[in-house]
Amino acid sequence: MRWILLMVLSVSLPAMADLEYSLKPRQIAEDTWLLEGSTDNFAKANGGNIVNTAFIVTEGGVVVIDTGPSKRYGEAMRKAIAAITDKPVVQVFLTHHHPDHVLGNQAFADVPIGALAGTTELLHQQGDALAENMYRMVGDWMRGTEVVLPNQVVTPGVRSFGNHDIRLLGLGGHTGADLAILDQRTGVLFAGDLVFYQRALTTPNSPGLAVWLADIATLQGLPWTLIVPGHGPVSGDPQPFEQMRDYLTWLDQLLQAGAANGTDMAEMIRSPIPERFAGITLSRYELIRSVSHLYPRYERGQMTRVDCAAAK
Amino acid sequence: MSWRILWLLACWLPLAAHAASIDPGKDPVPSVMWAFYHKQMLGDAPFVFDDRVKLLAPPFAEDARQVPLEIDARAFKGEVVKILAWAELNPLPKIVDFQPLDRVLPWLSIRIRIEQATPLRAAVLTRDGLWHVGSTLIDAAGGGCTAPSVVRTQPGWEDHIGEVLGARYPRNDFSRLRVQVAHPMDNGMVSGVPEFFINHAELRSADDQLLARLELFPAVSENPNLAFDIEGAGQTRLIIRDNSGNEFDASIP
Repeated sequence: MRWILLMVLSVSLPAMADLEYSLKPRQIAEDTWLLEGSTDNFAKANGGNIVNTAFIVTEGGVVVIDTGPSKRYGEAMRKAIAAITDKPVVQVFLTHHHPDHVLGNQAFADVPIGALAGTTELLHQQGDALAENMYRMVGDWMRGTEVVLPNQVVTPGVRSFGNHDIRLLGLGGHTGADLAILDQRTGVLFAGDLVFYQRALTTPNSPGLAVWLADIATLQGLPWTLIVPGHGPVSGDPQPFEQMRDYLTWLDQLLQAGAANGTDMAEMIRSPIPERFAGITLSRYELIRSVSHLYPRYERGQMTRVDCAAAK
Repeated sequence: MSWRILWLLACWLPLAAHAASIDPGKDPVPSVMWAFYHKQMLGDAPFVFDDRVKLLAPPFAEDARQVPLEIDARAFKGEVVKILAWAELNPLPKIVDFQPLDRVLPWLSIRIRIEQATPLRAAVLTRDGLWHVGSTLIDAAGGGCTAPSVVRTQPGWEDHIGEVLGARYPRNDFSRLRVQVAHPMDNGMVSGVPEFFINHAELRSADDQLLARLELFPAVSENPNLAFDIEGAGQTRLIIRDNSGNEFDASIP
């Protein structure tokens, strides 16, 4: 009996110990640290660490941007911050309500968690279902994770934290409520998921690709020096914006042309993806998702009322 | 032995021989329920797993309430009696019974609900009495059949029941006909909402010839989307009935 218990323990203990995010903050600008995730999909192998989170160590305390995909990630992030600075965390900003950006909130329950009003509303509506789906995809990494709603409404404008003036922008192309954050001291632009770089963009809550394209133009017009995308590597040149514009325009035209041609949804998801997007991970997977999210709107735009009740 | 029995035997022998000599081949998808559905849907009739029946669906259901499905049996053009489709692990598996009669190609696009990851099947009966079964697998987080209706959350939805959006899209030697019908397609699985769904549709030509007949089942998504490929010109009429006896009529120019 004891023998069996030992066997079981020896098998299960290492499995548990493996669930370690080992987050390594990388300094990308003065006072500014990035926790860069992979550009893969959610998986049990990565614990959902496919996202970029960051923090700014100001004289007035630490400002955190997004809290990651799980309670365990949030706690690991907190430890990683403490290893860099003794200063307390004074503010969390959430760029939007998607689970990989907000499910670490539990680890920041003692700090003001700020988000756009629309983000809180969306998280209130969808949070539990999003968290449930994360449990399905990521498994044990999620243990104990629960949705914690933001407790502070963020409005666009400039807020000062010590020696850093932080400009907050309320945009919406990705989810309808997207917060972009520009640190005016360093010029680092935290674009949230308005910018994906080398990773296909996701559209489950997008109000429309035209809105998103307008947001990209707004962001590019800011006095930035470094772009931190929500997913993918940071960049000092405008390449992420150009890739976003190229990809959004391609997707919009593909859906437009498909609807005008009466192409069926199941056919749309098999559309060829241009060679120039070969370096973007998960483009086929995200095309399948985007067709499901967006194509019905394009289709309806190309059809008219044909029932006899309409003719009367 | 009476002449009548002899005659019956004579009629049945070719089919029986047919059945005995047909090797159905290997099931291309892992299924625990094929034997059951073979009996339930096809009445244990002779069949083959046949990749010429293309059943095309995304590898996973992004929205389990609206999963696009394309059934392509054009390899059997002119030979098709009917096409049956079902989702094996759905609580209400049946999707559609489609009979393309005249000028309508054996091709159909439709959107469905799925409750969990499942094998999907489209069985095509050809004139020789053999079923050709096309298969695919779809992954899903699930819940598509038991999720509350989206239609019913929209104020004034009752006023829009039976409204049909449609269009014709010319191709080289046929035209694509697409319709979207406003209807909640209640499957009876959402608490307190009884079954209320479109169960019958017909396509007719301008001179009232029956072109195709469809029986629809509650696995079909709300606001059903259908597409057909039709040869020849002229207006096409779509006649739809639901299980409450409502009838809707549309004309696609």
